[in-house]
Amino acid sequence: MARIGPSFRSVASLRVRLPPDTERRRLGGLLLRSLAGIGGGYALAALATVVLSLSLPLARSEAVLAATMASFAVHAAAIIWAFAARSALRAVTGLVTGAALLTLIHLVVQGQLP
Amino acid sequence: MIGFGASLAYAGFVAMCLAMERHHEQVFRTRAVPPRRRRLLSVLGWLLLVASVLAMVSASGWGLGLVLWAGILTATAIPLSILLTYAPRMALMLAAAPLPAGLALLLSVP
Amino acid sequence: MKEGFRQSMAWLHRWAGLLVGWVLFAVFLTGTAAYLRPEISYWMRPELALSRPGPADAEVAVRAMQAMAPNSPSWFINLPDERDTTLRVFWREPGARGRGFREAVLDPATGRTVEARETLGGEFFYRFHFQLHYVGVLWGRWIVSICAMFMLVAIVSGIITHRRIFADFFTFRPGKGQRSWLDGHNICAVLALPYHLMITYTGLVLFMLMVMPWGIDRAYPGGRAAFNAEAFGSAPPRPRAGNAAPLSPVLPLVQEAERRWGGGRVGRIVVANPGDANATIQLVRADSERISYNPQSLTFDGPTGALIQDSGEGHPVAEVRGWMYGLHIGRFAGPLLRALFILSGLAGTAMVATGCVLWATKTRQQAARQGRVGFGTHLLEHLNVATIAGLPLAMAAFFWANRLLPAGMPQRADWEVHVFFATWGLCLIHPLFRRGRQAWIEQFAIGALAFALLPLLNVLVTQRHLLATLSEGDHVRAGFDLGLLGCALMLGALAWKVARHRPAPASSRVPSSIPRPGRSVEAAR
Repeated sequence: MARIGPSFRSVASLRVRLPPDTERRRLGGLLLRSLAGIGGGYALAALATVVLSLSLPLARSEAVLAATMASFAVHAAAIIWAFAARSALRAVTGLVTGAALLTLIHLVVQGQLP
Repeated sequence: MIGFGASLAYAGFVAMCLAMERHHEQVFRTRAVPPRRRRLLSVLGWLLLVASVLAMVSASGWGLGLVLWAGILTATAIPLSILLTYAPRMALMLAAAPLPAGLALLLSVP
Repeated sequence: MKEGFRQSMAWLHRWAGLLVGWVLFAVFLTGTAAYLRPEISYWMRPELALSRPGPADAEVAVRAMQAMAPNSPSWFINLPDERDTTLRVFWREPGARGRGFREAVLDPATGRTVEARETLGGEFFYRFHFQLHYVGVLWGRWIVSICAMFMLVAIVSGIITHRRIFADFFTFRPGKGQRSWLDGHNICAVLALPYHLMITYTGLVLFMLMVMPWGIDRAYPGGRAAFNAEAFGSAPPRPRAGNAAPLSPVLPLVQEAERRWGGGRVGRIVVANPGDANATIQLVRADSERISYNPQSLTFDGPTGALIQDSGEGHPVAEVRGWMYGLHIGRFAGPLLRALFILSGLAGTAMVATGCVLWATKTRQQAARQGRVGFGTHLLEHLNVATIAGLPLAMAAFFWANRLLPAGMPQRADWEVHVFFATWGLCLIHPLFRRGRQAWIEQFAIGALAFALLPLLNVLVTQRHLLATLSEGDHVRAGFDLGLLGCALMLGALAWKVARHRPAPASSRVPSSIPRPGRSVEAAR
């Protein structure tokens, strides 16, 4: 708490002082966003890497390199999204949707191959 | 050629600065920049920056030229921001550097 | 909603930066020093004489290796160039496991090993900046990669938070406390933004197959050798035949390579299974020649000298990766560009430092407003001093150790590193006994003194002091000594600046709800 204290106040001080219940919810939201961004974002980036590695219309080694190089942009974007989304729940939903979309692409591409 | 490109980049940054109220005030003691002059200055600034890219690329090719250019932008902008704070007149005068640099370039090319 | 968005980006920027700020500072500063890796290594081995690269170096080295390590499974010969004028060889001990390498520096004239003091040289800063020290190599790389990811997020969120930075491009308002720190932070960040983005992203790309192995593992279930062959055209290693055959002369092969590369130079020679009928000689193009670090190489059959494989320019995406790699390590950069890289690296270092200080200033201000200064504020300020002022001092100590530790000492190279970390550790303890800015001033001042005295120490303990190197035309060593004086000046200026700083009358004691713009808040008090 000693470490989180000052920063949290610095964000909060711009607003009207929040009642403790709301503060706890905000903190919970930030925690959820951090987890979604860091952990979920990494999972999403890993998934994107796998899907692109296997489905980019390039030579196999080229696809792997391209996908892996792009993965950090995906991760960074996911973290930004996790904090930019209007609510923590929306952030999570967005990441899950992204993952679902990638999986769908993966299945379609893999299904077409003999 | 690289020196010329660097001086062009510097002059471009100075022109862009003068188009901004805060920096205009630092140099000329007044915040008021006539709108037409502001537009002219910022266009001039961009043109000079484009010219400096061309100078760099013609000196060292696309790959190396662009990398050099990015480095030169940093190396000219940091002194400019310091000069604007501590010696604004000097910052303005140095913007004339492309003239001698260009002249030297012309003389050195047979 | 817009405000909420900006605020959460600001929160993200601050925390992403703060959590890893101290590591990033160290990575940036030692990484910047790593641009001078060969120069540092050369300076730290004063026994090495100035030599110039010659056409016979390759032949000399191969003959020396045949005498020194005839049974080694592989030799690596680094040919000298204008920057790194030493002829350096590495070889794997017969029967050694893992990275059992031995190393020697050869005299290009005679091929005899040159006895130089045992030191890591510039290699230490280079290695530290991506894998730290005292932690396992993999651990270090993971930690630095994670920090780099935080850095990337901090950069992107920073751009979003401070959209005004592009309008305030050149603005520096000194003597205005927090405002000035913010201006300084912005200048260092924005004016070298392309560099910061490049160095962070390419840094991640360097270890991408470690951090993000999922693509390659799925696409190449059989292992990475197949990937390496497809992506980089590296020839699969040939097994040892078991019957002896003499190695073909290497000079004609070098000439052949230079012809094929249109005058490009050979930078490294790798000989596998020398003396065996299945030996190969691989000539790798010097990495100072092209931006892309996708090493072009030619592989020849050892006994006959026939060309086996020509790994050319590489495929387009592999070439993009090569560009990223090359841009990061900057070995293609000539003197001017290297100077620009170092300048940008220092701007990055200053960006991280000002960010950390800015945060501490803000926290202190808030604490003052609330009338109590908590443990968090103290910790923040303390770590700032120890990292920002302590690291340069530790680097100076590393150079001192190089000059003062006895030459024949066992594990000498390790002890130089221990001295580095011991000094840094002292810098961590020192602020406990000092109040306010005193710690900053003292550490900067001692750092300045330590750097300034190094060229003098050189006069006392080596033959390679400034007077000798200047008259000899040894520009690298002379330039390095002058650079040390430059570092001393920089640190001295910082010490002077902090000492001279007069905080405005402590306005924090005046009850006031509006933060006054002119209020001066000092870095660490």
